[in-house]
Amino acid sequence: MKILSSLRGKTKVNRSVWGNVLLFLFLGVFGCYMALPLVYSINNAFKPLDELFLFPPRFFVRNPTMSNFSDLFHLLSNTWVPFLRYAFNTVFITMAGTIGHVLLASAAAYPLAKHKFRGTKILFSVIVLALMFSPHVTAIPNYMVIGKLGWIDTYWAIIIPAFAFPLGLYLMKQFMEQIPDALLEAAKIDGANEYRIFWTIVMPLVKPAWLTLTILLFQLLWGTDGGTMIYSENLKTLNYALGQIVAGGIARAGAGAAVALLLMSVPILLFIFTQSKIIQTMATSGMKE
Amino acid sequence: MARTRLTQNQRKGRMGILFLAPWLIGFILLFALPIGESLRYSLSQLEMTTEGMSMNFIGFDNFQAAFTQHPSYNRVLTEAVIDMVVNVPLIIFFSLFSATLLNQKFRGRGLARAIFFLPVILASGALLGVEGGDILQNVMQSANSQQGDSMSLLKSFELERMLIESGANESIVSYLTDAVNRIYEIISRSGVQILIFLAGLQSISPSLYEAAKIEGATGYEAFWKITFPMISPLILTNVIYTVIDAFSSSQMTVLIQDTAFRTFQFGLSSAMSWIYFLCISIILFIMYSLISRKVFYYD
Repeated sequence: MKILSSLRGKTKVNRSVWGNVLLFLFLGVFGCYMALPLVYSINNAFKPLDELFLFPPRFFVRNPTMSNFSDLFHLLSNTWVPFLRYAFNTVFITMAGTIGHVLLASAAAYPLAKHKFRGTKILFSVIVLALMFSPHVTAIPNYMVIGKLGWIDTYWAIIIPAFAFPLGLYLMKQFMEQIPDALLEAAKIDGANEYRIFWTIVMPLVKPAWLTLTILLFQLLWGTDGGTMIYSENLKTLNYALGQIVAGGIARAGAGAAVALLLMSVPILLFIFTQSKIIQTMATSGMKE
Repeated sequence: MARTRLTQNQRKGRMGILFLAPWLIGFILLFALPIGESLRYSLSQLEMTTEGMSMNFIGFDNFQAAFTQHPSYNRVLTEAVIDMVVNVPLIIFFSLFSATLLNQKFRGRGLARAIFFLPVILASGALLGVEGGDILQNVMQSANSQQGDSMSLLKSFELERMLIESGANESIVSYLTDAVNRIYEIISRSGVQILIFLAGLQSISPSLYEAAKIEGATGYEAFWKITFPMISPLILTNVIYTVIDAFSSSQMTVLIQDTAFRTFQFGLSSAMSWIYFLCISIILFIMYSLISRKVFYYD
C-alpha cells in the first residue's frame, strides 16, 4: 500500500507545480465558502443573547459563553417526556432504518446487477421511475397504506418505508455492475454458493458504495420529525423536540443556536468517521488475463 | 448439456428473486401502490366529506385545469425544466472535478470532504426548521428556492445594474449574472454527487495507474484514459440522481404541495405532478440514451 501511495504521489510531480497550486487554491476557496455556514452556527451557539440580536450581525463571537448550552439543558430537564426518550427514538429510528435499508438494498441490487433474469430490465426501469416521484404526491396514499397495515403511531411507520427507498437500490446496483464477472465466476468454480459470494466478495468490494449509502440514509432519517405518522409524544424524535424548544420564540434564540449546532454535529461526525473507513477497494486488481 | 444449463438458469432466477423479495415487497406496498393511487386521484375529483374522501371520475379535466386555469403552473413548469437542463451539466462537471481533487492524498482530506458534504446536511430541511429566522436560514433558503430574495447575501443585483447602466448587452448580462447566481446553488447541490464520485474513484484499482505510470503516461493522460472511462457508469448514475434531486427540490414541488395541502385540490395536485413527472421522464430518457452509449464497463 505504501509503495502504491508513493507511486501515486509521483504522478503529481509530472503535473506542473503551478497547476497543483491553482487546483488547491480553487478547492480552498470553495471549501471556505461552503464552510461559512458551519463556522457561523458554531459561533452563534456561543454568542450571548445581546450579540445574537446585534444588527448588523457579527460573524465571530466576541464574548463566548456556555449559557446557551446550560439554558438548553435546563429546558430539556423540564420537559414532560424525558429528553433521553427523544434521543432514543431518533437513534433507534435512524439506526434501524439505515441498517435495514443498506442490507435490503444490497441484497436486492446483487441479482439485478449480476444475475440477469427475465424481468430485470423492467424492474430496474420501474425503480428509476419510482425515484422520480415527488414524495408529496404519494403522501396521502402512503398514509393510507401504512394506516391499513396498522403502523400509524409506531416506529415502523418511518423505519419500514425507509427500507424500500429506491435510491439505495439504484446506487448499489450501479456499483455492483462494475465488479468484473470473472471474480464471481472464480468464486463459483471454487465452490462458493451465492450467499458466500455475496458476503465475502461482493459486499467488501462495494464497501465505498454502502458506506456512502449509510451516510445518505443516516442524514435523511436523522432529520425526520415524525411528520404525520407519529402522534404520541413519547415516540416523537429529537428533531421535533428541539424544534419545539426553538418555537418558544425570541427568548429561546440562544438555546436554538445551541440546538442547531448539536443537531448538525452528529451527521458531520458520522461523515468524517465513515470517510476515514473508506479505503481503496481493488475490484479489478485480482485479475490476470 | 442443454438441460442442465436450463435448470441452472432457473435456479439462478429463483435465487435472484429470493434476494430481491424483501425489498420488492416493501417497494410494491409503499411506493408502487401509492403511485398508482395518485394516478387514480389525478383522474378524479376528490372531496372531503364527513365519511372520509369521495372520489368521482372526471377524466382529464384536472390535467386541462392545470394548463389552462391555474395562474402560475405553466410558468413554474417551464422554469423548473430550464433550470434543470442548465444545472445538471454544471453540477456533474463541478462534482467530478471536486471529487478528483478530494481523492488526492493530502493533509486534512477528511475535513475537506466533510466541508464539501456540509451543504447536504445543512439543507436537509430539518435544520432549517430549527434555526429560527436568522441569516443562515435566509441564505440557505434563498439558495434553495432560487428566488431573488432581498435578504440573500450572494446575489448579484448591483453587478447586473452596473453592467446594464454601462451599456452592455442586456441578454449577455443577464446570462452572466444568472451563472454567478447559480454558483451557490450548484455547489450546494453537489454534495451527494461528489460523494458518489469519490466512492467510484476509490473502487478504481491502483494497479491500473501503476501500469500507466510504467508506460509513461502523464497525470492528464491517466485521468482521461483511466479515471474517466472507469468512472463513466457513475457519471450516468449521477446525471440521473441530479435530475431527480432537482426534481424533488424545485419550485414545482412546492406548488404541488401547496395545491394539495393548502387549497385541498388533491386531484389537481396529482395531475400537476404527473405532467411534471412525464416532462422529467422525457429529459431523463434523452440524457440516459445519450450517455449510456458512451459508458464503459470493465469486463
